[in-house]
Amino acid sequence: MLKIKDLQKNFGSLRALDRVSLEVEGDSIFGLIGPNGSGKTTLFNVVSGFYEKDGGEILFKGERVDGLTPDGIARKGLCRTFQIAKAPEKLTVLENMMLAAKEQRGENPFSALFTRRRTARVERENLDRAMELLEVLQLVDLKNEYAGDLSGGQKKLLSLGRVFMLQPDMILLDEPTAGVNPTLTMQLMKAIKELQQREHKSVFIIEHSMKVISSICDKVYVLNFGKKMAEGTPAEIQKNEKVLEAYLGGA
Amino acid sequence: MPIINFFIYLLTMVGIYGLLAMSLNFQVGFAGLINFGQVAFFCIGAYTSSLLATKVGIPLPFCFAGGMVISGLFGYLMSIPTRSLKSDYWAIATLATAEVIRLIALNEGWLTGGPFGVMTIPQPFQFLFSRDSYPLFYLVLVLICVLLIYFALSLLSDSPFGRDVKAIRDDEELCLSLGKNTRQIKLQAMVVAGMVGGLAGALFAHYITFISPENFRPIETFLMWAMIIVGGRGNHAGAILGAVIIQLFNVSTRFIGEYVSLSPDVMASLRMLIIGLLIILFISYRPEGLIKEKKKVYYLKRRDGE
Amino acid sequence: MEFSQIIVNSLIRGSELSLLAIGLTMVFDILKFSNFAHADYAVLGAFLAYTFNQVFGINLLIAIVLAALFTGLFGIAIDRILFKRLRVIGANPVSLMIISMGIEIALRNMLRLIWTSEIKTYAIAIRKPFEILGARITPLQIKIVLVGFLSMVAFHILLHKTKFGKSLRAISDNRVLASACAIDSEKMITWMWFLACAYGVIGGTMIAMEHVLYPRLGFDILIPVFCATILGGIGNPYGAMVGALILAFAENIVLALDLSWLINLGGFFNVHSIQISTGYKPAISFVMLIIILLWKPTGILRKK
Repeated sequence: MLKIKDLQKNFGSLRALDRVSLEVEGDSIFGLIGPNGSGKTTLFNVVSGFYEKDGGEILFKGERVDGLTPDGIARKGLCRTFQIAKAPEKLTVLENMMLAAKEQRGENPFSALFTRRRTARVERENLDRAMELLEVLQLVDLKNEYAGDLSGGQKKLLSLGRVFMLQPDMILLDEPTAGVNPTLTMQLMKAIKELQQREHKSVFIIEHSMKVISSICDKVYVLNFGKKMAEGTPAEIQKNEKVLEAYLGGA
Repeated sequence: MPIINFFIYLLTMVGIYGLLAMSLNFQVGFAGLINFGQVAFFCIGAYTSSLLATKVGIPLPFCFAGGMVISGLFGYLMSIPTRSLKSDYWAIATLATAEVIRLIALNEGWLTGGPFGVMTIPQPFQFLFSRDSYPLFYLVLVLICVLLIYFALSLLSDSPFGRDVKAIRDDEELCLSLGKNTRQIKLQAMVVAGMVGGLAGALFAHYITFISPENFRPIETFLMWAMIIVGGRGNHAGAILGAVIIQLFNVSTRFIGEYVSLSPDVMASLRMLIIGLLIILFISYRPEGLIKEKKKVYYLKRRDGE
Repeated sequence: MEFSQIIVNSLIRGSELSLLAIGLTMVFDILKFSNFAHADYAVLGAFLAYTFNQVFGINLLIAIVLAALFTGLFGIAIDRILFKRLRVIGANPVSLMIISMGIEIALRNMLRLIWTSEIKTYAIAIRKPFEILGARITPLQIKIVLVGFLSMVAFHILLHKTKFGKSLRAISDNRVLASACAIDSEKMITWMWFLACAYGVIGGTMIAMEHVLYPRLGFDILIPVFCATILGGIGNPYGAMVGALILAFAENIVLALDLSWLINLGGFFNVHSIQISTGYKPAISFVMLIIILLWKPTGILRKK
């Protein structure tokens, strides 16, 4: 579903991404690991359009998406979360979910003023879906709280909820469990797996915890110094000598 | 009765500035667009409408509409640099742009009458009322406009569009990641705000019947800022409250000057000094203003029908 | 107008503006917000200097020093009372900018209250201007250019040859790293304000001496100073000087331009002369500011 060919991203003389090539299939969960600074988030940023690439190609569902704006890429069905979970201060949890809803009416002044009945109907439908997702994420009781008031872990859950409201074909999750306590981590993993199995999406997840990776990923890529170092199933990766050396010997 | 006339005048001006405050609030409080050139909408609306009326002679409703359209267009132009400029740079640019507009009005006499401005601006439905009762009619007209705009803006801010606008204010990057075309949404917000500001300008011009570049100095923008800072950003009632408070203060201190033996120059300085202090105090100690932004709460029936 | 006169006029105005632009660029760079009241601080100092010199008869140099002292303390006080609180809690720089707008209004009107709106002029003996290469320049104007130049040199020495300057540059480059190296940010910020205000006062007094002094002067030169600062790149004091010169040059040359050749190009019209009306003189810096913000907001000079 996502095909990256020879992707290059430089920051001055630093090669953050050095001719990286990889593929992520549909209806599966793929993992991306690597030591700090290996270029994982940079990869996500370039693929999702927030950074400009310096070379290479990005194909999504067969189409070239490199060079599109971030919102354009999101609209094509390739969506992401952020490493530091975003939580708009003055929007409630439910508003956040509704904000992300894929089909909306009334998003411009004209239709907001003059097509109120249709807008209201679509809003109700989105509201139902949002509530369903909030139940899976166990955030229902917080639905009318400001997103800015949530705890770090809750914000991560909210990010997850938002991105599923988008009904994308592929989701890039940037360290969804970073800074989250173990119980919540289990909850998150369960939610991701459950949601993925329900909706048959493709998920690409950056993670530091091998436990998480091995529990939900079908295949893993390893980055180091901006280059692809290894790929394989979680079991294969854990036995890979180069990988072990990079994690233990390096950073 | 002069007291009644004074109150009618005061309320009319409160209404006109209420529109301007709501327009600014929509940009600042809802969209997070720091506009230091708000007076430009006021100026363009006033000049467009009055020039259409005096030079082209079309029926007044079209003049008002013209004022709103051109102002809205200007809002569109102002929104173009918002993608590439950081908020404080954009703020400075708007300040500069508004002054350029005023200087054009001042220098292009062939179009705008230059320093002499536009005179004998016709008033709507003038023939229907006597000279004494006309101001009351105009007040009602202004108040109707304020109510209409209040409701329209409330509808907008409660709609998905409003939600997008607020989300852009709080976190634009997030909105991009959710597939929102933020540039377009900001553009739409600016056009709406521009139109409301233009309406205020047109109402002003046809009320005072004489406008000149002197009416549109940067001080006006600062007054509008004081209104939304004191009254409360992120909600329309706050904008109107702010307009009431600041205009009351503004106009009443003119009155006091007659009883206290201070020269008008001193009164004007004191007045603006206090406005400046109000801005400082409120931002420092009560940044949300007097009326806070309301939380959007969803009331849902429980699924098991409780 | 002779081209040499344009150059001379640009040098004079550029020198005046650069003194204010240096302070503004420092504050913008280190405190990360645009201080709308900056020019008004300078005018406050100019009024003080005027009062000391023209009303109390104190020697001009001493008057300026005293005024710079007072204004520097004033700037520090304002920072302590208003900005520091918000700075420490990590408030949005936009809030600081809005507060500075409030300060601008309050300060300008306070000046109006104390000194009235009456225009003040320095009683300077009228001397015959010198003629250099077809351009006229008065002794006062020569002094202004000299003061501007010397101030830049002094600033350069300060920035590169003193410990204070090194610390300032360190904070400008990386605040977090600087504090890790035991550089006391708050103390540096205090001194920075002092310096910014002092330079502003010198510049403001120069303008007051060459032209006239009135309370609105601060607001009137605000945009030109901002333009010069942004042209030169935030955080680049040399850029601020260059920016000021470029702006001054643009102001002078645009007015001297005769656009009729453009209109007459096709041979269809035969217009005698089209010039931009002098009423637009203030607009030149505004338009330049808008252009620079749209085209290259980081400034035309790279940061040092």
